[in-house]
Amino acid sequence: MTEEKKPEERKKRKTAAEAASKIGPMVKATIGGTVQAREEGKPIAYSFICCGYDEIIRAMDIVPVWTENYAGICAVKRDAQRFLERAEAENFSRSLCTYALCGLGFDAWREELGEMPPNPPWGGQARPDMMLGSGQMLCDPRNKWYQAAQHYMPDVPVYEVGLPWTPYEDDYDYREVQDYYVKYMVEQLRGLVEFLERQTGRKMDWDRLSELVDLADRTWNLIWEAYELRRAIPTPMGTGDAMNTMVPMVFMMGTQEGYDFYKDLYDELQRKIANKEGVIPDEKYRLIWGGGLPSWFALTDFNYFNSKGAVFPVETTYRMVEAIYHFDIDLTKITDPLEHLAWRWLKYWTYWYDKSKRRPGSHPDVERLIQYIEDYKIDGIVMHEAFSCRTWHVGLIWQLNLLKKIYRDIPSLILESDIVDISSYNEADTRARIDAFIDTLEAVKSRGR
Amino acid sequence: MPGESAGEGLAAADRYYRDYGCRARELKRQGKKIFGYLCAFVPLEVLTAAGFIPFRIKGDVNEPITKADTEMETIVCPLVRSCFDMSLKGNYEFLDGIVIPHACDSICRTYDIWKYTLNLPYSHLINMPHGTDDSSLNFYKAVLNTFRTSLSRFAGREISDQELTQAIGLHNQNRAKVRELYELRKASPPLISGAEIAKVLVAAMGIPIEESIEMISGVIDEVKQRGGVLASKPARIMVVGAQVDNVAFIQLIEDSGAWVVADDLCPGAREFFSYVDATDDPMDGIAERYLRKIKCGRTYREMKGNYQEYLEDRFGHMGQMIEDFDVDGVVLYIYKYCDPYGFEVPQIKSYIESRDTPVLYLEDEYSMSTIGRLRTRIQAFLELIGSK
Repeated sequence: MTEEKKPEERKKRKTAAEAASKIGPMVKATIGGTVQAREEGKPIAYSFICCGYDEIIRAMDIVPVWTENYAGICAVKRDAQRFLERAEAENFSRSLCTYALCGLGFDAWREELGEMPPNPPWGGQARPDMMLGSGQMLCDPRNKWYQAAQHYMPDVPVYEVGLPWTPYEDDYDYREVQDYYVKYMVEQLRGLVEFLERQTGRKMDWDRLSELVDLADRTWNLIWEAYELRRAIPTPMGTGDAMNTMVPMVFMMGTQEGYDFYKDLYDELQRKIANKEGVIPDEKYRLIWGGGLPSWFALTDFNYFNSKGAVFPVETTYRMVEAIYHFDIDLTKITDPLEHLAWRWLKYWTYWYDKSKRRPGSHPDVERLIQYIEDYKIDGIVMHEAFSCRTWHVGLIWQLNLLKKIYRDIPSLILESDIVDISSYNEADTRARIDAFIDTLEAVKSRGR
Repeated sequence: MPGESAGEGLAAADRYYRDYGCRARELKRQGKKIFGYLCAFVPLEVLTAAGFIPFRIKGDVNEPITKADTEMETIVCPLVRSCFDMSLKGNYEFLDGIVIPHACDSICRTYDIWKYTLNLPYSHLINMPHGTDDSSLNFYKAVLNTFRTSLSRFAGREISDQELTQAIGLHNQNRAKVRELYELRKASPPLISGAEIAKVLVAAMGIPIEESIEMISGVIDEVKQRGGVLASKPARIMVVGAQVDNVAFIQLIEDSGAWVVADDLCPGAREFFSYVDATDDPMDGIAERYLRKIKCGRTYREMKGNYQEYLEDRFGHMGQMIEDFDVDGVVLYIYKYCDPYGFEVPQIKSYIESRDTPVLYLEDEYSMSTIGRLRTRIQAFLELIGSK
């Protein structure tokens, strides 16, 4: 059995936005709530963030356990290694997604003990009644993790929801095929509702689902509008804080609490802009976090960037919404809530396709970078390559190469580490690379003066 | 018509294996169009029906990956990186197009890199769903019809049902030949070695389907004719893993004192043992085979019955093969960064061990540099089997 290890003590990261500082207690309460729900016999589902069907889970009063989030919390607390080691002892390769490994190690240990592993971060990960997989066009762990978890919980059923989106191709336009994609997604979502009804013995309240879908639409718009405020100079909020403020976006969609959070954030950012209150008083370099999940155990690197005069007004990571009034269809006219979810999903993932088609040789991911570079007046790009995740960390080099080819050369830095596995991280090396990047930014700026 | 001086049977396989792509190069010179593809999930029947020659892009364990790293992250499956590296180095300069399936993250997430970097006249991603339920099957059929339409546009002509039916017949005939070839492994000692089989199957990936049928038929005749020439060895091994497109690993096991007599690999039994059924709409049979019949970790099979029955549904074919080919031990051979199989290791291992068959799990990096370390592990495993 893996030895209990005391996590390394860490000081709380300093946030600029008040809203961001509320996130820690919110997440702690959410995780504590799942443990409490287990004790109270409420139905609990392991779920993936950005699953596309949050509202269905909420409408049926199912308590989601966001398993990626729990692994992230273990990483933030620098207490993930014992769970990773447990997964490795079970013959899972350390090259696999470390969110999944942390979760599987935790599950294996909890099932062996019949109770939570000793001193689990924030009360532990509650045993689920069901697990909701998610077969998309990315992230194999979303359809393998829970299947693998059944090795330790063979009595817990898994439901796999297929939610693909149309590829970006030259040989046809995505609109030629979008109808059959939506039809499939609606069938899959209907299957999910039937599965949840069977598991819980409850019936879906379709009116309530429609209300929550509408609430989520309004939340999407609000998030987009709030984040666009960050274009201001000085920017009132950076990516370091956005790695906190993404929590309601990906864990609380379809809840009033989530909506209210972004209303507060919007108001706070407007207030800061009016007062010319930035993340740092004197911005020297404006950067985009252009890809990759952060190292959850090293979020203070964002503060280090700040200490060098660099801010991140924008990021592509966890900006999982667009303003729905910008879509090329009027979602408000789609009254069937499942169809509505399917169209919103498809239009989100294809949002940059048309713009990309207009620039020869471009690609939606690169087009998005270009738009943000221009809108947010960006001087340089920072990305992070997490070794264990092929979902978000493959294609970064190529995107930078393409950006240079079709747009312009812009200073860039790819940091290398992981999302959860702290053994892959070297603070001194990371900061030396950041220092060198800052020197490059300064040199480029000097040449432009 | 076979290639220039290819020889027959095992000699042809050896030539096509050693000079992989030589036949495609010849055909290109004759004006044929060659379409590269990755993985077992590209429906080759559609390419064949369109008049194009499918050519599976392979890597090379002997070639250090260098050029690929300028475009593709090193966290991608090493096999895919090697395939890309070989492509960038000009080994497959004859390709007219590339078709990539939504197989795993390493393949699907690199599609754009392949497409933009190689910049071939044709590229297409087949967006295969993970699920196998009826709605997934219908969706997949629609995806395949989009592929058919796209290929038709490129070819400048329709792909008829009749052409598809003929192509299905050819590919099924090839699969039947591979099954016949595998029958030769059941004898003790086997009539054909694992390394020879691997060579034949890899060679077949790079030549037209008609020539593959002819080559494998020649190998079967030759092996039957030569009779039992292989020496007896103390252990019969099955290899389970993703894609093994070289003989080095199989040869290593056979040099260590065992015969490799069975597999669940690509190319191998996983890819060749299932047929396309004859259906009124030929795309129905194709969709059914690729989504439901090929049992690969990338596909999510819905749970029916209890957990034990679920394991039987997912891995029962491995158990059957262990029985049919009288296997003494299984080597579970998984590449680093392989998500579909990496997550299955504990389940596959415990399923096979529950049948009293020992399992050796090896994680590897698709490189000859690891051979020494693997040899030590394999020798120890064979000793363990021998002591039982």
